[in-house]
Amino acid sequence: MGHQWGMVIDLDRCTGCEACVVACHAENNIATVGDKQAAGGRAKHWIRVERYYEGDFPDVKVKFMPVLCQQCDAAPCEPVCPTFASYHTDEGLNGQIYNRCIGTRYCANACPYNVRFFNFYNPAWDKPLDLQLNPDVSVREVGVMEKCTFCLQRIKAAEIEAAAEKRDVKDGEIQPACVQSCPTNAMVFGDLSDPHSRASRMAASSRGNKLMEELGTRPKITYLQRESWNGDENA
Amino acid sequence: MPPVEKNRMQRRDFLKISAITGASAALDACGSPDHQLIRFIPEEDLIPGVATWKPSVCTVCPAGCGLLVRVMEGDAEVVRNGQLGLMQMGLAKKLEGNPAHPINQGKLCPRGQAGLQVTYHPDRIRTPLMRSGARGSGEFKAISWDEAMKRLMAQLSSLHSGNSHGRLVFLTSSLRGQRKNIAVTFTGAFKNSQYVEFAFFDERVVRTANAASFRHDAPPTVDLSQANYIISFGANFLGTWNSPVAQSLGYGQMRQGRPGTRGKFVQFEPRISQTGANADEWFACAPGAEGLLALGIAHVLIADKLRPASSAGAAGELVEGWSGGLAEYAPEKIEAQTGVKAETITRIAHEAAAHAPAVALIGDAAAAHTNSLFNTVATNALNALLGSAGKPGGIQFGSVWNSGSGKSGVQESSGAAAVQALAAQLESDPSSVGALLIYGANPVFATPAAWRVRQSLEKAPLIASFGSFIDETSILADLILPDHSSLESWIEDTPDSGSVRTVVSVAPPAMLPLHDTRPMPDVLLDLAHELGGNLATALPWKTYDDAIQADFAALYKEKGSKDAKAADDFWSNAQQQGGWWGPEEPAAANEPGGKSTAVPVKYAPAQFDGNPGEFPFYFMPFPSQMLYDGSLAGLPWMQEAPDPMSTAMWGTWVELNPSTANKLGIKQADLVEITSQHGTLRAPTMITPGIAPDVIAMPIGQGHESFTRYASNRGANPISILAPISVAGTGALAWAATRVKISRVGEGSVILFGASLREESPDLKHR
Ligand code: SF4
Ligand code: SF4
Ligand code: SF4
Repeated sequence: MGHQWGMVIDLDRCTGCEACVVACHAENNIATVGDKQAAGGRAKHWIRVERYYEGDFPDVKVKFMPVLCQQCDAAPCEPVCPTFASYHTDEGLNGQIYNRCIGTRYCANACPYNVRFFNFYNPAWDKPLDLQLNPDVSVREVGVMEKCTFCLQRIKAAEIEAAAEKRDVKDGEIQPACVQSCPTNAMVFGDLSDPHSRASRMAASSRGNKLMEELGTRPKITYLQRESWNGDENA
Repeated sequence: MPPVEKNRMQRRDFLKISAITGASAALDACGSPDHQLIRFIPEEDLIPGVATWKPSVCTVCPAGCGLLVRVMEGDAEVVRNGQLGLMQMGLAKKLEGNPAHPINQGKLCPRGQAGLQVTYHPDRIRTPLMRSGARGSGEFKAISWDEAMKRLMAQLSSLHSGNSHGRLVFLTSSLRGQRKNIAVTFTGAFKNSQYVEFAFFDERVVRTANAASFRHDAPPTVDLSQANYIISFGANFLGTWNSPVAQSLGYGQMRQGRPGTRGKFVQFEPRISQTGANADEWFACAPGAEGLLALGIAHVLIADKLRPASSAGAAGELVEGWSGGLAEYAPEKIEAQTGVKAETITRIAHEAAAHAPAVALIGDAAAAHTNSLFNTVATNALNALLGSAGKPGGIQFGSVWNSGSGKSGVQESSGAAAVQALAAQLESDPSSVGALLIYGANPVFATPAAWRVRQSLEKAPLIASFGSFIDETSILADLILPDHSSLESWIEDTPDSGSVRTVVSVAPPAMLPLHDTRPMPDVLLDLAHELGGNLATALPWKTYDDAIQADFAALYKEKGSKDAKAADDFWSNAQQQGGWWGPEEPAAANEPGGKSTAVPVKYAPAQFDGNPGEFPFYFMPFPSQMLYDGSLAGLPWMQEAPDPMSTAMWGTWVELNPSTANKLGIKQADLVEITSQHGTLRAPTMITPGIAPDVIAMPIGQGHESFTRYASNRGANPISILAPISVAGTGALAWAATRVKISRVGEGSVILFGASLREESPDLKHR
């Protein structure tokens, strides 16, 4: 079997800082939409950090959870696409072929994780902000659906380099932009088909679970639940 | 290069100055797409382009994280010799953390990621400007560098020769390294001169307290990676406080990096911050009572014989009543004032004692009350008692490299009080200031309106700014001599926290300049050579990079290096690596049993401006995770990144407790008016459980009148309505010492980024 890319997110490390969110914007040419479109719910963040409050003042608890495309193995967004724009890659990723997409938005409706974003308008960058654009990533036009790719361009670059050096990609060699920036090292990316990869080993943790697994989507992201402090065990 | 057909733009155009006068313009969301990056192949088949990575330094906050800039070839419209043209050049495409840098070790915070947009900002000042309308009108005309330098020289040379009366005042943000040395030395060469540093979050209270407790005039370097217990009084150490990336790295390690050991974290603050949201236990303590809590915990440690009082050494002695065991701070005696139960205080003291290393932190609002010098000295004493001062798992101090001699003889002052004094002086005797140079600081935005900084600057005879943007302060300038962006400049930095290694970051420019700008230090050096005399001797370097190289020669002489045979190697190694870092050498901070000769600090209750009858609420501004102190409000990535606690974008809000809202008949997102004795502002509400019923909180950062098309006229500025009172004994603004009242005005709105996964999903119909 080829690579099966996956991720582990340790919610006990995540602080909700959103370095991942901005790193993703910078890496993937995600256009800001401005206040009016944002007010209409059209802002695009391939990764977002959800915040949950529990309890009432003063016994308040807060939890953060970064949510991005879960790269489902049984991805509900794929079969609904009439043009096969949303498809499964050989390496287990959910891909999106932008110029095949005709904007039915069926996939966004089918995705239970709310991580697909539609371009209601052509993106625009006030010059010279266009110079920040990453030439390795396509800009998406009006009428096209977009979402997290696990930084496919970085995966490709590492695979091409490894092939040129006649070796396999090393564990930890690929870092999607979010993983790379994360100040607490909360995210680990790796090959789930390799049982020895850090991601595989961490995914086996007793703290691990998957988001809305009961839907049968078979997500490739494992969340490690936050722990509570137990002084005596830890002492 | 990727297989992209180049679409070379033919347009050769001259700059239209109207585009950069800071007028607000709506973000145009329906312009043309950037055709060159729209492709007709699956992403899978894309061949990645060739990139190089160049070291640089993040300058958007004082932490000084190291960068690796991803540079790729591209076509840019640039100005050369007054002509706009197309040039193929290396362009910064992405900022990444420098893995070799001791502070951030390859990581960046969201603000650091967005720093890229400073360089490419559409409203950057692209050429020298001269005021052409009334002061503050925002009308400028483009002039050449020759003319700009001539005009500035005319004023400076008459001041330098003593032919005209008045002082040279240089007002900057907090600078470091040779950049600071050049600015200070330049200023000091004028007989009559003053150098003033101002930044809203300058950690002045923490510095002052650390100097008193530990003889280190610096914020602490916090070693969370080895801590087993963290007690934080208000410090937003995972968000914006001090060195947040270094602290986040340690925090991740503290939680899950040590098999079998997971540290505990307790936060005390009246409004839950992004940092507090991660605590195992969060307590809403009364504003200004943090020092009482620190001493309450210390009392238990001493009384229950968990630690001897003498182990706190000089840092303990600095607190009045320390050697007597702090009986007046017994938990049951401070319970009412702090709002924290006696049993909780006792339990936390015992837990901390049992789980060494335990560390206590204080920052942000807890260090911005009138009595915060006491609060901070008390927290320092607690650290010393816990055995965490200068120790692994505690607060540590490194040694900081001091660029230049620093003996310029100039009158140097810093902090809010210095700006207040300057404003008062300008207002009473404007001609006493012959010329005011401004770099990096925006005091008109970042000081209380009650100080009348704008009105006083309006009277200054000559203001020259080195700013990159028209903001509330530079809009008052007569001349603007725009600086390069940090990615276009040589850069040197000597951060004083975040690592116990001595860090001297250095990097050559990561890319060529886009616009007709010049590095501020080079402009000063040019002026110095033209003015001649003592200036030319004091500033012998031709260029800023000469000055940095000289600094590295001095550094090599003093510190040497195993892997560099000569100063030249040392210098080129440092440029490649992004700097030079010394060995891991925490400085001594505290001796158990040590004595203090300083006058002990006494508890005084925090004072609040406004009587509680008329102004029933404590007003707590807080740093914004994305906009920081407001200086990043101009960046579209920061405006559209959801605030971590509220998910709000592109605006501002005030937070209040549900019971308070209920009582006042205020609903979610209603527009309210907040009034202090010093002003009024309006903002929509965010009703949230994480705030005490007698507190109203508001993020700092929005409310710019003039600061790029993205930030101007958006939201309100909480700083403007603050009471002009300071933290006793420090000269810092007590920015958490204002009381306000609140009333409903009508319906309002907040832009939220929510998702249907969340229950309180806002009005998102489609996506
Ligand atoms: S998370 Fe949503 S978009 Fe991603 S693969 Fe699953 S269904 Fe598709
Ligand atoms: S960057 Fe890391 S710590 Fe910050 S929100 Fe994202 S996952 Fe969490
Ligand atoms: S903490 Fe963030 S903004 Fe500050 S220097 Fe580091 S990366 Fe830059």
